[in-house]
Amino acid sequence: MENRIEQKMRCLKEQGNKAFITYMTVGLPDMAGCKALIEAQERAGLDVLELGIPFSDPIADGPVIQNASYKSIQLGVNLKKVFALLKEVRAQGVELPIIFMLYYNTALHFGLEMFVEECINSGVDGLVIPDLPLEEQGDLKEALQRENAPLLIQLVSPVSADRVPKILEGARGFVYCVSGMGVTGQSGNFHKKILHYLSEVKKIAKIPVMMGFGIEQAKDVAPMKDVIDGAIVGSHFIKLLEANEYQPQEAEKYCRTFKKELNDL
Amino acid sequence: MKKNNERYFGEFGGQFVSESLMNVLEELDQVYEEAIHDEEFLKQYDYYMKQYVGRENPLYFAENLSRAYGTKIYLKREDLNHTGAHKINNVIGQIMLAKRMGKKKVIAETGAGQHGVATATGAALFGMECTVYMGEEDMARQELNVFRMEMLGAKVECVKSGSCTLKDATNEAIRTWAKTAEDTFYVIGSAVGPYPYPKIVKEFQSIISRESKRQILEAEGRLPDVVMACVGGGSNSIGMFADFIEETSVKLIGVEAAGLGIETGKHASAMALGKPGTLHGMRSYLLQDEDGNIQIAHSISAGLDYPGVGPEHAYLKDSGRAEYVSITDQEAMEALQDLCRMEGIIPAIESAHAIAYAKKQAKKMKAEDIMIVCLSGRGDKDVHTVADYMAGKGYLN
Repeated sequence: MENRIEQKMRCLKEQGNKAFITYMTVGLPDMAGCKALIEAQERAGLDVLELGIPFSDPIADGPVIQNASYKSIQLGVNLKKVFALLKEVRAQGVELPIIFMLYYNTALHFGLEMFVEECINSGVDGLVIPDLPLEEQGDLKEALQRENAPLLIQLVSPVSADRVPKILEGARGFVYCVSGMGVTGQSGNFHKKILHYLSEVKKIAKIPVMMGFGIEQAKDVAPMKDVIDGAIVGSHFIKLLEANEYQPQEAEKYCRTFKKELNDL
Repeated sequence: MKKNNERYFGEFGGQFVSESLMNVLEELDQVYEEAIHDEEFLKQYDYYMKQYVGRENPLYFAENLSRAYGTKIYLKREDLNHTGAHKINNVIGQIMLAKRMGKKKVIAETGAGQHGVATATGAALFGMECTVYMGEEDMARQELNVFRMEMLGAKVECVKSGSCTLKDATNEAIRTWAKTAEDTFYVIGSAVGPYPYPKIVKEFQSIISRESKRQILEAEGRLPDVVMACVGGGSNSIGMFADFIEETSVKLIGVEAAGLGIETGKHASAMALGKPGTLHGMRSYLLQDEDGNIQIAHSISAGLDYPGVGPEHAYLKDSGRAEYVSITDQEAMEALQDLCRMEGIIPAIESAHAIAYAKKQAKKMKAEDIMIVCLSGRGDKDVHTVADYMAGKGYLN
């Protein structure tokens, strides 16, 4: 069956539009505020939302997301509470595709089977796990062999090179192309061969190609507009939320503007 | 979950890193495999071990301690190495690999500063640029080692995230490595991290057990009954065990830090109470809270103050080949004083944990039985901590 992410990607393709995806650490400023932010972004026409599950040792993240993650843990946010939040949001009719970005230990500790079960029950559509490369995905993939289970989104990096074809084999939803070396939130610091790298991925990929890490404005991706199908913004979005006291209307405004500009490129 | 590939020890190990590091690890594995089958490389490594590090170091029969504890105790004197601990064995090997890969820079994480000092030393020797990541908390605790690294030409980068200790310094080193792997080599100090690091660290530290085996056969004409070492991440212990793992008559014991006592929750015994999980690129036993967040370890010894343990140790525990026990701060400090007064040796607090368990283990042994204890480092770096402890001030942790 077509997953919410796949359905969204198909619609965008039919309309000739690009996808806009935001990332925010879940549970900030608190659960109610976070819920308001999710609803505001759905109103703004956001295509996919990535929710960052906090972890004590976020090795793929730069300072902005590290701090957000730390704050969220201090507030007592954990998987159980996030699943409860999502159930509420889904019950209120939010149909926005939602992806969890989490570190593998969080799911492992929860128990993979129970984790997948809860993802299904609360309407999680995809998983991005930055410390789970292809070679280590076996156990999770086994647990994901269920109806309505979330898609495991595959990540590729500028130095993946000959690994790209095997990573893309059987990949669903979209492929997450990391824009540079290193961690999230290094603004504008794209890899020196970014265009070549993205073109190579685009040639092989049968699914949409998204670019993430270090993007702030739609114009940042203008040089790559012909090879990508969408953009993901994380650290910059979190900074913006922090600077505006997590006002839902600010999130809404940013999403609308980015999405419009992205499609006008 | 049964893993049968070479990246795993039983169900422990693996490569839980970002995609961007997978090709880097693959290249490292290839270069390493070529190197350790290359006579020239091995000859050069042996040369530095002998002429620079000062190996082989003695397997010293501690007569007074043996008499007091009631069994024959031999100490493998890693404390006599250049830079004062076993860490240099591994650093020289890894920096030689870095050279071979054409890297110009090395980075390292450090807790107590011993691995940082060893890496700065190796970098100076081989003319590499060196940056060491160290938690803010640890920099305050180990000011002298920060200065040592700087004297040796290294840059010490202060890590202010999370708990500001070794765990966070390791996170920051991994982040930097992911950014700069194209020209930078990450020198991991313990038998931890993603494959092939645990294998590489074991290989370069196994010189400890190769020498010990030869030395004990010369001295006693037979293998020891017990081989013991302290375990933080587990590099001196895996090196001390390596050549004895196949000798099933030899009992292997790893000694973790119980801090203020396992029951207080303020300890660093990943094997006593930890659950398997993933951190720093590996699946192993880790101290975690109810949500799977990694907990902060506690020990008076900064070198044992790590919430995880190397994957091969996790495997040796589960397979029953090695036994893992723990020793409190207080027991370690008593043993430290025993060794000072009975043998005139000031051990590192890390190593004193192994001495403390030797005392307990000796009670189960006969006078003519033989035990080898790895004296992994000397205690000069710890005199302030010891002084504070004795003055009843406890320690910063």
